[in-house]
Amino acid sequence: MLTGTALFLSSILTLAAIYAVIALALNLEAGVDGLWDLGVVSFVAVGAYTYTMLTVSPASAGQSYIMGFGLPMWVGVLAAGIAGSIVAFLIGKPTLKLKNEYFLITTFAFAEVIRQILTNERWLSNGVAGVYNLAQPFKTYFTPSVYPYILLLLLVIIVFIVYVVVHRLTYSTFGRSLKALRENEPLALTAGIRPDRFHIRAFVIAGFFAGTAGAFYVWYSTVITPSLFTSDITFFVWMAIVIGGLANNKGAIVGSVIFVLAGESLRFLDLGSGFAVRMASMKIAILGLILIAILKWRPQGILPEKKVKFSNSSKNS
Amino acid sequence: MLEVQNAKKYFGGVKAVDNVSIQVKKSSITGLIGANGAGKTTLFNMISGFIPLTAGTVIYEGEDITNQPAYKISTKGIVRTFQTPLGFPRMTVMENMLVFAKNRNAGIFTAIKTSKKVTPLEEEYIERARKILKDVGLGNKEDAWVSDLSAGELKILEFARPLMADPHIFLLDEPAAGINPANLNSLVTLIKDLRNKGYTFLIVDHNLKFIMNICDYIYVMADGKLIFEGLPDEVANADCVIESYIGKKKTEDTVSN
Ligand SMILES: Nc1ncnc2c1ncn2[C@@H]1O[C@H](COP(=O)(O)OP(=O)(O)O)[C@@H](O)[C@H]1O
Ligand SMILES: [Mg+2]
Repeated sequence: MLTGTALFLSSILTLAAIYAVIALALNLEAGVDGLWDLGVVSFVAVGAYTYTMLTVSPASAGQSYIMGFGLPMWVGVLAAGIAGSIVAFLIGKPTLKLKNEYFLITTFAFAEVIRQILTNERWLSNGVAGVYNLAQPFKTYFTPSVYPYILLLLLVIIVFIVYVVVHRLTYSTFGRSLKALRENEPLALTAGIRPDRFHIRAFVIAGFFAGTAGAFYVWYSTVITPSLFTSDITFFVWMAIVIGGLANNKGAIVGSVIFVLAGESLRFLDLGSGFAVRMASMKIAILGLILIAILKWRPQGILPEKKVKFSNSSKNS
Repeated sequence: MLEVQNAKKYFGGVKAVDNVSIQVKKSSITGLIGANGAGKTTLFNMISGFIPLTAGTVIYEGEDITNQPAYKISTKGIVRTFQTPLGFPRMTVMENMLVFAKNRNAGIFTAIKTSKKVTPLEEEYIERARKILKDVGLGNKEDAWVSDLSAGELKILEFARPLMADPHIFLLDEPAAGINPANLNSLVTLIKDLRNKGYTFLIVDHNLKFIMNICDYIYVMADGKLIFEGLPDEVANADCVIESYIGKKKTEDTVSN
Protein backbone atom coordinates (compact mmCIF):
# COMPACT_ATOMS: atom_id res chain seq x y z
CA MET A 1 0.00 0.00 0.00
CA LEU A 2 2.75 2.40 0.97
CA THR A 3 4.77 1.67 -2.14
CA GLY A 4 1.57 2.01 -4.12
CA THR A 5 1.04 5.47 -2.68
CA ALA A 6 4.64 6.46 -3.20
CA LEU A 7 4.55 5.24 -6.77
CA PHE A 8 1.36 7.15 -7.40
CA LEU A 9 2.82 10.27 -5.85
CA SER A 10 6.02 10.03 -7.85
CA SER A 11 3.97 9.59 -10.99
CA ILE A 12 1.93 12.74 -10.41
CA LEU A 13 5.01 14.70 -9.40
CA THR A 14 6.62 13.66 -12.66
CA LEU A 15 3.60 14.97 -14.48
CA ALA A 16 3.81 18.17 -12.39
CA ALA A 17 7.44 18.57 -13.42
CA ILE A 18 6.49 18.34 -17.10
CA TYR A 19 3.79 20.95 -16.52
CA ALA A 20 6.36 23.07 -14.71
CA VAL A 21 8.60 23.12 -17.80
CA ILE A 22 5.69 24.29 -19.95
CA ALA A 23 4.65 26.75 -17.22
CA LEU A 24 8.15 28.25 -17.07
CA ALA A 25 8.12 28.65 -20.84
CA LEU A 26 4.68 30.26 -20.78
CA ASN A 27 5.69 32.46 -17.87
CA LEU A 28 8.46 34.03 -19.93
CA GLU A 29 6.25 34.91 -22.88
CA ALA A 30 2.99 35.57 -21.01
CA GLY A 31 4.06 36.60 -17.50
CA VAL A 32 7.17 38.59 -18.29
CA ASP A 33 6.42 39.66 -21.85
CA GLY A 34 2.64 39.86 -21.51
CA LEU A 35 1.75 37.88 -24.64
CA TRP A 36 -1.68 36.31 -24.44
CA ASP A 37 -0.67 32.98 -25.91
CA LEU A 38 -3.54 30.52 -25.92
CA GLY A 39 -1.74 28.05 -28.12
CA VAL A 40 1.24 26.95 -26.07
CA VAL A 41 0.15 23.33 -26.58
CA SER A 42 1.16 23.70 -30.26
CA PHE A 43 4.81 23.70 -29.24
CA VAL A 44 4.31 20.75 -26.90
CA ALA A 45 2.58 18.72 -29.60
CA VAL A 46 5.08 19.47 -32.32
CA GLY A 47 7.96 18.81 -29.91
CA ALA A 48 6.47 15.49 -28.82
CA TYR A 49 5.88 14.29 -32.36
CA THR A 50 9.26 15.47 -33.59
CA TYR A 51 10.95 13.65 -30.73
CA THR A 52 8.95 10.49 -31.37
CA MET A 53 9.39 10.38 -35.13
CA LEU A 54 13.13 10.87 -34.82
CA THR A 55 13.73 8.33 -32.07
CA VAL A 56 11.39 5.43 -32.90
CA SER A 57 12.22 2.56 -35.23
CA PRO A 58 10.74 2.66 -38.72
CA ALA A 59 7.01 2.03 -38.99
CA SER A 60 6.06 -1.62 -38.94
CA ALA A 61 3.23 -3.33 -40.80
CA GLY A 62 -0.13 -1.69 -40.17
CA GLN A 63 1.49 1.53 -38.98
CA SER A 64 2.42 4.56 -40.99
CA TYR A 65 4.51 7.50 -39.95
CA ILE A 66 7.38 9.47 -41.38
CA MET A 67 11.03 9.12 -40.43
CA GLY A 68 11.52 6.54 -37.68
CA PHE A 69 15.27 7.08 -37.61
CA GLY A 70 15.92 5.52 -34.21
CA LEU A 71 18.15 8.46 -33.23
CA PRO A 72 19.45 8.86 -29.65
CA MET A 73 17.06 10.42 -27.18
CA TRP A 74 19.11 13.53 -26.52
CA VAL A 75 19.06 14.30 -30.23
CA GLY A 76 15.31 13.86 -30.12
CA VAL A 77 14.93 16.24 -27.17
CA LEU A 78 17.08 18.88 -28.83
CA ALA A 79 15.14 18.49 -32.07
CA ALA A 80 11.87 18.76 -30.13
CA GLY A 81 13.03 22.11 -28.75
CA ILE A 82 14.14 23.34 -32.14
CA ALA A 83 10.89 22.20 -33.74
CA GLY A 84 8.98 24.08 -31.03
CA SER A 85 11.04 27.18 -31.80
CA ILE A 86 10.42 26.89 -35.52
CA VAL A 87 6.68 26.56 -35.01
CA ALA A 88 6.80 29.55 -32.65
CA PHE A 89 8.62 31.56 -35.29
CA LEU A 90 6.19 30.58 -38.04
CA ILE A 91 3.12 31.31 -35.90
CA GLY A 92 4.64 34.39 -34.26
CA LYS A 93 5.90 36.18 -37.36
CA PRO A 94 2.45 37.04 -38.75
CA THR A 95 0.49 37.09 -35.47
CA LEU A 96 2.72 39.03 -33.06
CA LYS A 97 1.81 42.21 -34.92
CA LEU A 98 -1.81 41.70 -33.85
CA LYS A 99 -3.37 43.16 -30.77
CA ASN A 100 -3.43 40.86 -27.76
CA GLU A 101 -7.10 39.95 -28.22
CA TYR A 102 -6.51 38.76 -31.77
CA PHE A 103 -3.24 37.11 -30.89
CA LEU A 104 -5.07 35.04 -28.31
CA ILE A 105 -7.65 33.80 -30.80
CA THR A 106 -5.10 33.12 -33.52
CA THR A 107 -2.73 31.12 -31.34
CA PHE A 108 -5.68 29.11 -30.06
CA ALA A 109 -6.80 28.42 -33.62
CA PHE A 110 -3.31 27.33 -34.69
CA ALA A 111 -3.20 24.82 -31.83
CA GLU A 112 -6.45 23.30 -33.03
CA VAL A 113 -5.21 23.20 -36.63
CA ILE A 114 -2.08 21.35 -35.57
CA ARG A 115 -4.12 18.80 -33.64
CA GLN A 116 -6.44 18.32 -36.62
CA ILE A 117 -3.48 17.69 -38.89
CA LEU A 118 -2.05 15.14 -36.47
CA THR A 119 -5.45 13.49 -36.24
CA ASN A 120 -6.29 13.36 -39.93
CA GLU A 121 -3.00 12.93 -41.76
CA ARG A 122 -2.43 9.28 -41.05
CA TRP A 123 0.72 9.03 -43.22
CA LEU A 124 2.39 11.61 -41.03
CA SER A 125 2.13 10.15 -37.55
CA ASN A 126 -0.27 7.21 -37.62
CA GLY A 127 -3.36 9.35 -37.01
CA VAL A 128 -5.60 8.73 -34.01
CA ALA A 129 -4.03 5.32 -33.40
CA GLY A 130 -0.79 7.02 -32.46
CA VAL A 131 2.40 5.18 -31.56
CA TYR A 132 2.76 2.91 -28.52
CA ASN A 133 5.45 1.34 -26.36
CA LEU A 134 7.85 4.22 -26.67
CA ALA A 135 11.18 3.94 -24.89
CA GLN A 136 12.08 5.76 -21.67
CA PRO A 137 15.51 7.15 -20.80
CA PHE A 138 17.93 4.98 -18.75
CA LYS A 139 15.19 2.38 -18.35
CA THR A 140 17.44 -0.62 -18.91
CA TYR A 141 19.71 0.34 -16.00
CA PHE A 142 17.02 0.06 -13.34
CA THR A 143 14.47 -2.45 -12.15
CA PRO A 144 10.90 -1.56 -13.12
CA SER A 145 9.93 -0.95 -9.48
CA VAL A 146 12.45 1.87 -8.94
CA TYR A 147 12.33 3.32 -12.45
CA PRO A 148 9.46 5.77 -11.77
CA TYR A 149 11.62 7.46 -9.13
CA ILE A 150 14.51 7.69 -11.55
CA LEU A 151 12.28 9.35 -14.12
CA LEU A 152 11.05 11.76 -11.47
CA LEU A 153 14.61 12.58 -10.46
CA LEU A 154 15.55 13.18 -14.08
CA LEU A 155 12.63 15.55 -14.51
CA VAL A 156 13.40 17.42 -11.31
CA ILE A 157 16.90 18.04 -12.67
CA ILE A 158 15.42 19.21 -15.96
CA VAL A 159 13.01 21.58 -14.20
CA PHE A 160 15.91 22.99 -12.25
CA ILE A 161 17.92 23.65 -15.43
CA VAL A 162 14.97 25.26 -17.20
CA TYR A 163 14.27 27.31 -14.09
CA VAL A 164 17.83 28.66 -13.99
CA VAL A 165 17.76 29.59 -17.67
CA VAL A 166 14.35 31.26 -17.51
CA HIS A 167 15.27 32.99 -14.25
CA ARG A 168 18.41 34.47 -15.77
CA LEU A 169 16.51 35.61 -18.82
CA THR A 170 13.78 37.17 -16.69
CA TYR A 171 16.20 39.31 -14.73
CA SER A 172 18.49 40.17 -17.63
CA THR A 173 18.38 43.29 -19.74
CA PHE A 174 16.40 41.25 -22.24
CA GLY A 175 13.82 40.32 -19.61
CA ARG A 176 13.60 43.89 -18.42
CA SER A 177 12.86 45.03 -21.96
CA LEU A 178 10.11 42.40 -22.18
CA LYS A 179 8.61 43.67 -18.95
CA ALA A 180 8.80 47.23 -20.26
CA LEU A 181 6.84 46.18 -23.34
CA ARG A 182 4.29 44.44 -21.15
CA GLU A 183 3.89 47.49 -18.93
CA ASN A 184 3.81 50.30 -21.46
CA GLU A 185 4.61 49.67 -25.09
CA PRO A 186 4.60 53.31 -26.31
CA LEU A 187 7.04 54.26 -23.58
CA ALA A 188 9.22 51.25 -24.37
CA LEU A 189 9.37 52.51 -27.97
CA THR A 190 10.90 55.74 -26.74
CA ALA A 191 13.62 53.67 -25.10
CA GLY A 192 14.44 52.28 -28.53
CA ILE A 193 12.96 48.84 -27.85
CA ARG A 194 11.67 47.24 -31.00
CA PRO A 195 8.52 45.33 -30.04
CA ASP A 196 8.33 42.75 -32.82
CA ARG A 197 11.92 41.71 -32.35
CA PHE A 198 11.64 41.23 -28.60
CA HIS A 199 8.26 39.51 -28.76
CA ILE A 200 9.42 37.01 -31.34
CA ARG A 201 12.49 36.17 -29.29
CA ALA A 202 10.42 35.55 -26.17
CA PHE A 203 7.98 33.48 -28.20
CA VAL A 204 10.70 31.38 -29.84
CA ILE A 205 12.42 30.72 -26.50
CA ALA A 206 9.08 29.67 -25.00
CA GLY A 207 8.57 27.45 -28.06
CA PHE A 208 11.90 25.79 -27.42
CA PHE A 209 11.22 24.82 -23.83
CA ALA A 210 7.60 23.87 -24.44
CA GLY A 211 8.87 21.76 -27.35
CA THR A 212 11.27 19.84 -25.12
CA ALA A 213 8.42 19.39 -22.64
CA GLY A 214 6.68 17.49 -25.42
CA ALA A 215 9.53 14.99 -25.48
CA PHE A 216 9.39 14.64 -21.69
CA TYR A 217 5.68 14.02 -21.93
CA VAL A 218 6.39 11.14 -24.27
CA TRP A 219 8.84 9.72 -21.70
CA TYR A 220 6.11 9.92 -19.14
CA SER A 221 3.25 8.47 -21.16
CA THR A 222 5.24 6.07 -23.43
CA VAL A 223 2.42 6.66 -25.89
CA ILE A 224 1.68 9.40 -28.35
CA THR A 225 -1.73 10.23 -29.80
CA PRO A 226 -3.22 13.53 -30.95
CA SER A 227 -5.77 13.40 -28.13
CA LEU A 228 -2.98 14.03 -25.59
CA PHE A 229 -2.51 17.52 -26.99
CA THR A 230 -5.84 19.25 -26.64
CA SER A 231 -6.08 22.87 -25.56
CA ASP A 232 -6.72 21.57 -22.04
CA ILE A 233 -2.96 21.61 -21.63
CA THR A 234 -2.85 25.31 -22.55
CA PHE A 235 -5.62 26.17 -20.08
CA PHE A 236 -4.13 24.03 -17.31
CA VAL A 237 -0.74 25.66 -17.66
CA TRP A 238 -2.32 29.10 -17.71
CA MET A 239 -4.19 28.22 -14.52
CA ALA A 240 -0.97 26.96 -12.99
CA ILE A 241 0.92 30.20 -13.61
CA VAL A 242 -2.00 32.35 -12.48
CA ILE A 243 -2.31 30.30 -9.27
CA GLY A 244 1.44 30.30 -8.73
CA GLY A 245 1.91 33.98 -9.58
CA LEU A 246 2.33 35.48 -13.05
CA ALA A 247 5.92 36.50 -13.85
CA ASN A 248 7.28 34.63 -10.83
CA ASN A 249 9.27 31.59 -11.93
CA LYS A 250 9.12 29.81 -8.60
CA GLY A 251 5.40 30.49 -8.72
CA ALA A 252 5.17 28.72 -12.08
CA ILE A 253 6.65 25.59 -10.48
CA VAL A 254 4.58 25.83 -7.31
CA GLY A 255 1.45 26.45 -9.35
CA SER A 256 2.12 23.38 -11.49
CA VAL A 257 2.64 21.14 -8.49
CA ILE A 258 -0.48 22.39 -6.70
CA PHE A 259 -2.45 22.17 -9.86
CA VAL A 260 -1.48 18.60 -10.71
CA LEU A 261 -1.71 17.43 -7.09
CA ALA A 262 -5.18 18.87 -6.68
CA GLY A 263 -6.35 17.43 -9.96
CA GLU A 264 -4.85 13.97 -9.74
CA SER A 265 -5.22 13.21 -6.05
CA LEU A 266 -8.95 12.89 -6.65
CA ARG A 267 -8.09 9.50 -8.01
CA PHE A 268 -7.22 8.56 -4.47
CA LEU A 269 -10.88 8.49 -3.65
CA ASP A 270 -11.64 5.04 -4.91
CA LEU A 271 -15.29 5.43 -5.70
CA GLY A 272 -15.57 2.60 -8.13
CA SER A 273 -15.51 2.61 -11.89
CA GLY A 274 -18.97 4.12 -12.25
CA PHE A 275 -17.65 7.37 -10.91
CA ALA A 276 -14.94 7.85 -13.48
CA VAL A 277 -16.91 10.29 -15.59
CA ARG A 278 -18.19 12.19 -12.61
CA MET A 279 -14.64 12.42 -11.28
CA ALA A 280 -13.36 13.93 -14.51
CA SER A 281 -15.82 16.77 -14.21
CA MET A 282 -15.14 17.01 -10.47
CA LYS A 283 -11.50 17.62 -11.30
CA ILE A 284 -12.33 20.58 -13.51
CA ALA A 285 -14.75 21.91 -10.90
CA ILE A 286 -12.21 21.70 -8.07
CA LEU A 287 -9.47 23.31 -10.14
CA GLY A 288 -11.92 26.01 -11.11
CA LEU A 289 -12.71 26.64 -7.46
CA ILE A 290 -9.02 26.93 -6.59
CA LEU A 291 -8.60 29.43 -9.40
CA ILE A 292 -11.57 31.50 -8.27
CA ALA A 293 -10.34 31.49 -4.68
CA ILE A 294 -6.89 32.65 -5.77
CA LEU A 295 -8.27 35.40 -7.98
CA LYS A 296 -10.53 36.57 -5.18
CA TRP A 297 -8.14 36.52 -2.23
CA ARG A 298 -4.75 36.61 -3.81
CA PRO A 299 -5.00 37.98 -7.35
CA GLN A 300 -1.23 38.22 -7.70
CA GLY A 301 -0.97 34.46 -7.14
CA ILE A 302 0.66 32.51 -4.35
CA LEU A 303 4.07 33.99 -5.12
CA PRO A 304 3.56 37.47 -6.59
CA GLU A 305 5.98 38.98 -9.08
CA LYS A 306 9.19 39.85 -7.28
CA LYS A 307 10.31 43.40 -6.80
CA VAL A 308 13.74 43.81 -8.34
CA LYS A 309 15.99 45.70 -5.95
CA PHE A 310 19.50 46.86 -6.62
CA SER A 311 20.07 48.72 -3.36
CA ASN A 312 22.35 45.97 -2.05
CA SER A 313 23.58 44.97 -5.42
CA SER A 314 27.17 44.48 -4.26
CA LYS A 315 25.96 41.31 -2.58
CA ASN A 316 24.91 39.23 -5.53
CA SER A 317 22.40 36.53 -4.96
CA MET B 1 18.85 70.68 -35.47
CA LEU B 2 15.22 69.62 -35.80
CA GLU B 3 13.08 70.93 -38.58
CA VAL B 4 9.48 70.20 -39.42
CA GLN B 5 8.40 71.31 -42.89
CA ASN B 6 4.76 71.73 -43.90
CA ALA B 7 3.56 68.94 -41.65
CA LYS B 8 -0.06 67.91 -42.06
CA LYS B 9 -2.13 65.42 -40.18
CA TYR B 10 -5.75 64.82 -41.06
CA PHE B 11 -7.93 62.49 -39.05
CA GLY B 12 -10.76 62.02 -41.50
CA GLY B 13 -12.14 65.53 -41.81
CA VAL B 14 -10.26 66.89 -38.77
CA LYS B 15 -7.18 68.85 -39.72
CA ALA B 16 -5.34 68.21 -36.45
CA VAL B 17 -2.12 69.69 -37.82
CA ASP B 18 -2.37 71.83 -40.91
CA ASN B 19 0.77 72.88 -42.72
CA VAL B 20 2.98 73.53 -39.73
CA SER B 21 6.68 74.32 -40.05
CA ILE B 22 8.92 74.77 -37.05
CA GLN B 23 12.62 74.85 -36.37
CA VAL B 24 14.43 73.92 -33.18
CA LYS B 25 17.98 75.22 -32.90
CA LYS B 26 20.69 73.30 -31.14
CA SER B 27 20.93 73.95 -27.41
CA SER B 28 17.79 76.05 -27.47
CA ILE B 29 14.64 75.73 -25.46
CA THR B 30 11.83 76.12 -27.91
CA GLY B 31 8.24 76.40 -26.75
CA LEU B 32 5.02 75.35 -28.41
CA ILE B 33 1.82 76.70 -26.96
CA GLY B 34 -1.80 76.58 -27.93
CA ALA B 35 -5.20 75.80 -26.48
CA ASN B 36 -6.41 72.27 -25.94
CA GLY B 37 -6.92 70.51 -29.24
CA ALA B 38 -4.59 72.86 -31.11
CA GLY B 39 -2.61 69.90 -32.44
CA LYS B 40 0.52 70.05 -30.27
CA THR B 41 0.53 66.41 -29.18
CA THR B 42 -0.27 65.33 -32.71
CA LEU B 43 2.77 67.24 -33.94
CA PHE B 44 4.90 65.48 -31.30
CA ASN B 45 3.48 62.13 -32.35
CA MET B 46 4.52 62.77 -35.92
CA ILE B 47 8.02 63.92 -35.08
CA SER B 48 8.63 60.93 -32.83
CA GLY B 49 7.28 58.39 -35.30
CA PHE B 50 4.16 57.41 -33.38
CA ILE B 51 1.80 58.36 -36.19
CA PRO B 52 2.48 58.82 -39.90
CA LEU B 53 2.31 62.26 -41.48
CA THR B 54 -0.42 62.99 -43.98
CA ALA B 55 2.12 65.23 -45.68
CA GLY B 56 5.31 67.06 -44.86
CA THR B 57 8.86 66.31 -43.80
CA VAL B 58 10.77 65.93 -40.56
CA ILE B 59 14.49 66.61 -40.74
CA TYR B 60 16.85 65.86 -37.89
CA GLU B 61 20.53 66.81 -38.10
CA GLY B 62 20.22 67.00 -41.87
CA GLU B 63 18.64 63.55 -42.14
CA ASP B 64 15.10 62.98 -43.39
CA ILE B 65 13.44 60.95 -40.63
CA THR B 66 9.87 61.35 -41.84
CA ASN B 67 7.72 58.36 -40.88
CA GLN B 68 10.57 56.29 -39.51
CA PRO B 69 9.47 53.85 -36.79
CA ALA B 70 9.35 55.26 -33.27
CA TYR B 71 11.95 52.90 -31.79
CA LYS B 72 14.41 53.96 -34.47
CA ILE B 73 13.84 57.67 -33.99
CA SER B 74 14.41 57.23 -30.25
CA THR B 75 17.80 55.66 -30.85
CA LYS B 76 18.87 58.71 -32.84
CA GLY B 77 18.73 60.74 -29.65
CA ILE B 78 15.25 62.19 -29.98
CA VAL B 79 13.26 61.44 -26.90
CA ARG B 80 9.68 62.37 -26.20
CA THR B 81 7.61 62.29 -23.06
CA PHE B 82 3.88 61.71 -22.73
CA GLN B 83 1.20 64.11 -21.66
CA THR B 84 -0.17 61.48 -19.27
CA PRO B 85 2.83 59.86 -17.66
CA LEU B 86 2.34 56.27 -16.57
CA GLY B 87 5.87 54.93 -16.60
CA PHE B 88 6.24 51.19 -16.34
CA PRO B 89 3.89 50.78 -13.35
CA ARG B 90 4.78 47.29 -12.13
CA MET B 91 8.49 47.96 -12.20
CA THR B 92 10.60 49.86 -9.72
CA VAL B 93 11.92 53.36 -10.29
CA MET B 94 15.41 51.93 -10.81
CA GLU B 95 14.14 49.40 -13.34
CA ASN B 96 12.34 52.21 -15.14
CA MET B 97 15.65 54.02 -15.41
CA LEU B 98 17.57 50.94 -16.55
CA VAL B 99 15.15 50.24 -19.40
CA PHE B 100 16.46 53.44 -20.94
CA ALA B 101 20.13 52.53 -20.57
CA LYS B 102 21.86 51.78 -23.82
CA ASN B 103 22.55 48.12 -23.00
CA ARG B 104 19.14 47.03 -24.22
CA ASN B 105 20.64 44.88 -26.95
CA ALA B 106 22.54 42.63 -24.57
CA GLY B 107 22.12 39.16 -25.98
CA ILE B 108 20.02 36.25 -24.87
CA PHE B 109 22.90 33.78 -24.72
CA THR B 110 25.00 36.15 -22.67
CA ALA B 111 22.11 36.41 -20.24
CA ILE B 112 21.81 32.64 -19.96
CA LYS B 113 25.54 32.28 -19.33
CA THR B 114 25.75 35.05 -16.75
CA SER B 115 25.30 33.91 -13.18
CA LYS B 116 25.77 37.39 -11.71
CA LYS B 117 22.63 39.28 -10.87
CA VAL B 118 24.29 42.52 -11.85
CA THR B 119 26.98 42.71 -14.51
CA PRO B 120 29.77 45.31 -14.26
CA LEU B 121 28.25 47.22 -17.14
CA GLU B 122 24.92 47.25 -15.37
CA GLU B 123 26.61 48.37 -12.19
CA GLU B 124 27.74 51.44 -14.12
CA TYR B 125 24.23 52.14 -15.32
CA ILE B 126 22.87 51.72 -11.82
CA GLU B 127 25.35 54.27 -10.48
CA ARG B 128 24.44 56.63 -13.24
CA ALA B 129 20.73 56.17 -12.57
CA ARG B 130 21.28 56.85 -8.87
CA LYS B 131 23.04 60.09 -9.69
CA ILE B 132 20.27 61.22 -12.01
CA LEU B 133 17.58 60.26 -9.49
CA LYS B 134 19.39 62.20 -6.79
CA ASP B 135 19.70 65.24 -9.06
CA VAL B 136 15.99 65.29 -9.81
CA GLY B 137 14.96 64.66 -6.21
CA LEU B 138 13.92 61.03 -6.47
CA GLY B 139 17.01 59.73 -4.71
CA ASN B 140 15.11 57.88 -2.01
CA LYS B 141 12.66 56.25 -4.39
CA GLU B 142 14.79 53.81 -6.36
CA ASP B 143 13.10 50.72 -4.91
CA ALA B 144 9.55 52.06 -5.07
CA TRP B 145 7.03 50.61 -7.51
CA VAL B 146 6.31 53.27 -10.08
CA SER B 147 2.61 52.58 -9.55
CA ASP B 148 3.08 53.94 -5.99
CA LEU B 149 4.53 57.30 -7.06
CA SER B 150 2.59 60.55 -6.80
CA ALA B 151 1.56 62.36 -9.97
CA GLY B 152 4.33 64.91 -9.46
CA GLU B 153 6.97 62.26 -8.96
CA LEU B 154 5.79 60.51 -12.10
CA LYS B 155 6.24 63.72 -14.07
CA ILE B 156 9.78 64.06 -12.80
CA LEU B 157 10.56 60.42 -13.55
CA GLU B 158 9.18 60.86 -17.05
CA PHE B 159 11.88 63.40 -17.54
CA ALA B 160 14.67 61.62 -15.66
CA ARG B 161 14.34 58.30 -17.46
CA PRO B 162 15.54 59.37 -20.90
CA LEU B 163 18.64 60.97 -19.38
CA MET B 164 19.97 57.42 -19.10
CA ALA B 165 20.27 57.22 -22.87
CA ASP B 166 22.09 60.50 -23.41
CA PRO B 167 19.56 62.01 -25.79
CA HIS B 168 20.25 65.12 -27.85
CA ILE B 169 16.80 66.58 -27.93
CA PHE B 170 13.86 66.30 -25.57
CA LEU B 171 10.31 66.72 -26.71
CA LEU B 172 8.40 67.35 -23.50
CA ASP B 173 4.61 67.17 -23.66
CA GLU B 174 3.23 69.32 -20.84
CA PRO B 175 5.99 68.62 -18.31
CA ALA B 176 4.66 71.20 -15.85
CA ALA B 177 1.05 70.04 -15.79
CA GLY B 178 0.06 68.70 -12.38
CA ILE B 179 3.40 69.47 -10.81
CA ASN B 180 3.56 71.30 -7.48
CA PRO B 181 5.43 74.65 -7.34
CA ALA B 182 8.46 73.25 -5.48
CA ASN B 183 8.91 70.47 -8.01
CA LEU B 184 8.28 72.94 -10.82
CA ASN B 185 11.18 75.09 -9.66
CA SER B 186 13.54 72.15 -9.59
CA LEU B 187 12.27 71.14 -13.04
CA VAL B 188 13.02 74.62 -14.39
CA THR B 189 16.50 74.55 -12.87
CA LEU B 190 17.08 71.08 -14.26
CA ILE B 191 16.01 72.01 -17.79
CA LYS B 192 18.16 75.14 -17.76
CA ASP B 193 21.13 73.19 -16.45
CA LEU B 194 20.77 70.61 -19.16
CA ARG B 195 20.44 73.26 -21.82
CA ASN B 196 23.68 74.80 -20.60
CA LYS B 197 25.27 71.39 -21.04
CA GLY B 198 24.17 71.40 -24.68
CA TYR B 199 20.87 69.51 -24.63
CA THR B 200 18.03 70.83 -26.77
CA PHE B 201 14.38 71.12 -25.80
CA LEU B 202 11.04 71.44 -27.49
CA ILE B 203 8.42 71.99 -24.83
CA VAL B 204 4.65 71.98 -25.04
CA ASP B 205 2.87 73.41 -22.06
CA HIS B 206 -0.19 75.21 -20.81
CA ASN B 207 1.61 77.03 -18.03
CA LEU B 208 2.45 80.29 -19.75
CA LYS B 209 4.60 81.62 -16.96
CA PHE B 210 6.68 78.49 -17.14
CA ILE B 211 7.02 78.68 -20.94
CA MET B 212 7.75 82.42 -21.00
CA ASN B 213 10.33 82.03 -18.28
CA ILE B 214 12.18 79.14 -19.82
CA CYS B 215 11.97 79.39 -23.61
CA ASP B 216 14.21 81.20 -26.09
CA TYR B 217 11.69 81.05 -28.86
CA ILE B 218 8.01 80.23 -28.98
CA TYR B 219 5.57 78.90 -31.55
CA VAL B 220 1.85 79.38 -31.10
CA MET B 221 -0.71 76.98 -32.58
CA ALA B 222 -4.47 77.23 -32.89
CA ASP B 223 -6.78 74.75 -34.58
CA GLY B 224 -3.93 72.91 -36.22
CA LYS B 225 -2.33 76.03 -37.67
CA LEU B 226 0.71 78.03 -36.66
CA ILE B 227 -0.60 81.49 -35.82
CA PHE B 228 2.47 83.17 -34.41
CA GLU B 229 6.13 82.71 -33.64
CA GLY B 230 8.68 84.86 -31.90
CA LEU B 231 10.64 85.69 -28.78
CA PRO B 232 8.83 85.36 -25.44
CA ASP B 233 8.05 89.05 -25.04
CA GLU B 234 6.86 89.28 -28.64
CA VAL B 235 4.52 86.39 -28.00
CA ALA B 236 3.28 87.91 -24.77
CA ASN B 237 2.29 91.08 -26.59
CA ALA B 238 0.93 89.68 -29.82
CA ASP B 239 -2.76 90.45 -30.26
CA CYS B 240 -3.64 87.26 -32.04
CA VAL B 241 -2.05 85.18 -29.32
CA ILE B 242 -3.85 87.00 -26.55
CA GLU B 243 -7.10 86.56 -28.40
CA SER B 244 -6.88 82.98 -29.42
CA TYR B 245 -5.02 81.52 -26.54
CA ILE B 246 -4.05 83.58 -23.56
CA GLY B 247 -7.45 85.13 -23.04
CA LYS B 248 -9.11 81.77 -23.14
CA LYS B 249 -6.43 80.22 -20.99
CA LYS B 250 -6.62 82.89 -18.31
CA THR B 251 -10.29 82.24 -17.72
CA GLU B 252 -9.60 78.52 -17.58
CA ASP B 253 -6.88 79.14 -15.01
CA THR B 254 -9.08 81.19 -12.75
CA VAL B 255 -11.75 78.54 -12.93
CA SER B 256 -9.39 75.72 -12.10
CA ASN B 257 -7.72 77.66 -9.30
N1 LIG C 1 -6.07 59.62 -33.10
C1 LIG C 1 -6.90 60.64 -33.38
N2 LIG C 1 -8.02 60.44 -34.09
C2 LIG C 1 -8.86 61.45 -34.37
N3 LIG C 1 -8.67 62.71 -33.97
C3 LIG C 1 -7.57 62.99 -33.24
C4 LIG C 1 -6.64 61.97 -32.88
N4 LIG C 1 -5.65 62.53 -32.14
C5 LIG C 1 -5.96 63.83 -32.05
N5 LIG C 1 -7.11 64.11 -32.70
C6 LIG C 1 -7.73 65.43 -32.80
O1 LIG C 1 -6.76 66.32 -33.27
C7 LIG C 1 -6.86 67.57 -32.63
C8 LIG C 1 -5.55 67.93 -31.97
O2 LIG C 1 -5.33 67.10 -30.84
P1 LIG C 1 -4.01 67.18 -29.97
O3 LIG C 1 -2.85 67.10 -30.87
O4 LIG C 1 -4.11 66.15 -28.91
O5 LIG C 1 -4.12 68.61 -29.32
P2 LIG C 1 -3.27 69.27 -28.15
O6 LIG C 1 -2.17 68.35 -27.76
O7 LIG C 1 -2.79 70.56 -28.72
O8 LIG C 1 -4.23 69.50 -27.03
C9 LIG C 1 -8.03 67.46 -31.67
O9 LIG C 1 -9.17 68.00 -32.28
C10 LIG C 1 -8.18 65.98 -31.47
O10 LIG C 1 -9.52 65.66 -31.18
MG1 LIG D 1 -1.76 67.52 -25.96
